[in-house]
Amino acid sequence: MAASWKRLLFHILLLLVSCRHINTKTPGPTPPPLVPISSLPTDERSVSLKGESHTENVELLNPVNLALQCTWTGNQNKLPNITGFWRKDGDEVENSRVTVQLEGDEYELKRVFSIVSEESLGSYSCVFGSEAKIEFVLAAPQIGEVRDKPIVSYVGDSVVIACKMEETKPKPGSWNWYKANGTDKEQIFVVAEPLRYEIKNEERKTKLVVHNLTEADGGLYYCGAVYAISTTMGHVELKVISFQEPLKPFIAIVIEVIVLVAAILLYEKSQSKKNYTEGNGATDQMNTMTQGENNGPEGSSSTRQRKI
Amino acid sequence: MSNKADGSNSWSPTEERDVSLKRIMPPAPENELDYKPLDGGWGWMVVVGAHISIGFAYSTPKVLSVFFIDIQEQLGASYSEVAWISSIMLAVMYAGGPVSSLLVNRFGSRPTVILGGLLCGVSMVTASFGNSIVYLYFFIGVIGGCGLSLNLNASLTIISKYFLNKRPIANGLAMAGSPVFLCVLAPANQYLLHMFGWRGSLVILGGLMLNCCVAGALMRPVVLPRKPEKVEERPNLCTKPQQSCRNNAKKFLDLTFFKDRGFVIYLIGNVFFIFGAYAPIVFLSAYAIRQGVEEYSAAYLLSIMGFVDMFVRPGTGLIASSKWIRPRIQYFFGFAMVFNGMCHLLCPLVKCYAYLVAYAIFLGVSFGMVFALIFECLMDLMGNERFPSAVGLVTIIECFPILLGPPTAGYLVDIYKDYKYLFFMCGGVVVTGGLFLLVMNIYYYHMLEKEKPAAVREQNQTKTIENQDLVSASASRKYQSPERSMAGEC
Repeated sequence: MAASWKRLLFHILLLLVSCRHINTKTPGPTPPPLVPISSLPTDERSVSLKGESHTENVELLNPVNLALQCTWTGNQNKLPNITGFWRKDGDEVENSRVTVQLEGDEYELKRVFSIVSEESLGSYSCVFGSEAKIEFVLAAPQIGEVRDKPIVSYVGDSVVIACKMEETKPKPGSWNWYKANGTDKEQIFVVAEPLRYEIKNEERKTKLVVHNLTEADGGLYYCGAVYAISTTMGHVELKVISFQEPLKPFIAIVIEVIVLVAAILLYEKSQSKKNYTEGNGATDQMNTMTQGENNGPEGSSSTRQRKI
Repeated sequence: MSNKADGSNSWSPTEERDVSLKRIMPPAPENELDYKPLDGGWGWMVVVGAHISIGFAYSTPKVLSVFFIDIQEQLGASYSEVAWISSIMLAVMYAGGPVSSLLVNRFGSRPTVILGGLLCGVSMVTASFGNSIVYLYFFIGVIGGCGLSLNLNASLTIISKYFLNKRPIANGLAMAGSPVFLCVLAPANQYLLHMFGWRGSLVILGGLMLNCCVAGALMRPVVLPRKPEKVEERPNLCTKPQQSCRNNAKKFLDLTFFKDRGFVIYLIGNVFFIFGAYAPIVFLSAYAIRQGVEEYSAAYLLSIMGFVDMFVRPGTGLIASSKWIRPRIQYFFGFAMVFNGMCHLLCPLVKCYAYLVAYAIFLGVSFGMVFALIFECLMDLMGNERFPSAVGLVTIIECFPILLGPPTAGYLVDIYKDYKYLFFMCGGVVVTGGLFLLVMNIYYYHMLEKEKPAAVREQNQTKTIENQDLVSASASRKYQSPERSMAGEC
């Protein structure tokens, strides 16, 4: 039974591939979409350019037929005809080169692109002649608040790594977590290691809790916000250090404190011994003085000062 | 008039009084010490110790906020829950005043500050092992706060024992510890956080706070020349130990202070000031951002304020110890308070960044002036004997405005959605406090002059006799005056 379903799917694929040659509006380089083109919703973005270039960010959530329209007011020359074409990610789109007429003091380029998957996203530019360019950056909502400094945690401790999608952006369908393994990303499945990982998802926030950290757990972690069209990534770096790391400066400071305190107290002891011997001599002197002598007050105040 | 034969040129209360205009305030009777304070020498090392100790005391609750975001994430708490750590620490630091006074009166400054430093260090290190926010409330907030309160009171007391003529400078230099440590610890804490995470940073911060023990070691107890034993040690010379304990219990919260008009005036003025002083600082960057200033530039405003504060405090101490200002120091204090309040009132008129910078500078100047004088004036009012207990009482009462002020201001912002009412309220409250101090002090000293001219003359006479006695007592070892001060220590 499964084999016949596979054959059916293959036939549909073939049909769509052959349909590609009939419909000139589909973009060339993208792989044939599995979803029939006509069932996608349509949307339009248009930009009017006055200078030399402009970049427009387009946020997409779901697969869509996106019509991009570029209008250019032209330069001083105002040629009646110029060549215009489209680029995707720097490569020229096949069969997109057309001659644009000057209509109502403007040049216009318009094309419909089928945005269905992550590969369809990217930078689309309409180019007028060799001068004017409007760039449309198509992307799923990006995670804005990216933590740039690493989280530092300790061996044997637990750590919470969080990702948040801003309130102003649409909320993702779900969240995924990945750990970087060399250049690859490995998805973290809680089911595989329920004792070590915990994922807590709210609508706009997600938290990955890693228990019983080891040094190997350090590295880059990626949180993916899943939208129908693609998954946007944010990354957080985790550093795992042993508890001896902060202990070393701490012990150094404690030793410094002990040394200073001992030095101060020893200095004071030596000072007071000196004063005591001097003081004894002075009091002997004072005892030999008679009461009411003129030297009395001077002697006592000078002794007082010396005792300091 | 003065029997000082050493020919020193010091400001003596007895001398000034006769030369004065009516407005010069007579110092508290206990200011007449039975020994001449050092006013220099080892005293400056004591000022260094007090600088460190006070620096940690005032800046630690503020710089801990650097760790809050991390702690919030790791322990799963909300921002307001984490912010309570600072508030608890500040509240305990102020509320622990009377306990601190008790320890200082009994054991002296040095053991108290060393104990305070140990408590702080231990509290931070223990807190680094915490896994719940309540654990942090207890170890950082309560235990840490206790340690800081011991530091604060004892540092101020030892300054009053070492300085008289140069006391405003000493106070200014010691209080300058607060902005200096704030400027140093804030970036240091950021660095520690990135290197070691919040747990390791707490451990190292605890180690740094052990330096308060070094500060305590510097606070050498004052050796009174005539006595064989040091005053600050356990009162072995006390003939009635049981009565001394009962007196101690009474001194724990000595409510007789409220009978002293000067004290009550000072207290009321201070409560007004503390209520209104902190909220503008807390909300300054938020206000600047609302006016359209960039985030980093808004943060610079606070740094500017702290930087200016650092230099203004010793500067104010220098001015306050001059011959012209020193006898009128209470009025100078009132003026500084009014100046601070006026700054807040004028702030809402300021919209652009340049004027905000000017506001931050004036704020730093006025804030520094008030804080340089805040304890100097209390020392001036209370004298050495009563100062430790007085400062304990003042801080525990100040606990309430310091906890209520910023939230009330924040509530105003929430209701009216406009920061200008916050500044009007705070400015109004502070100006009221300052004017109250000025007016009531004028009235108070006027009444004093009127009420007790005879008593003053009599005091002058007894002082002349006492001074002569002092000289002869050193030769013949009579203990009249020491017993009077010993009664206070017991």
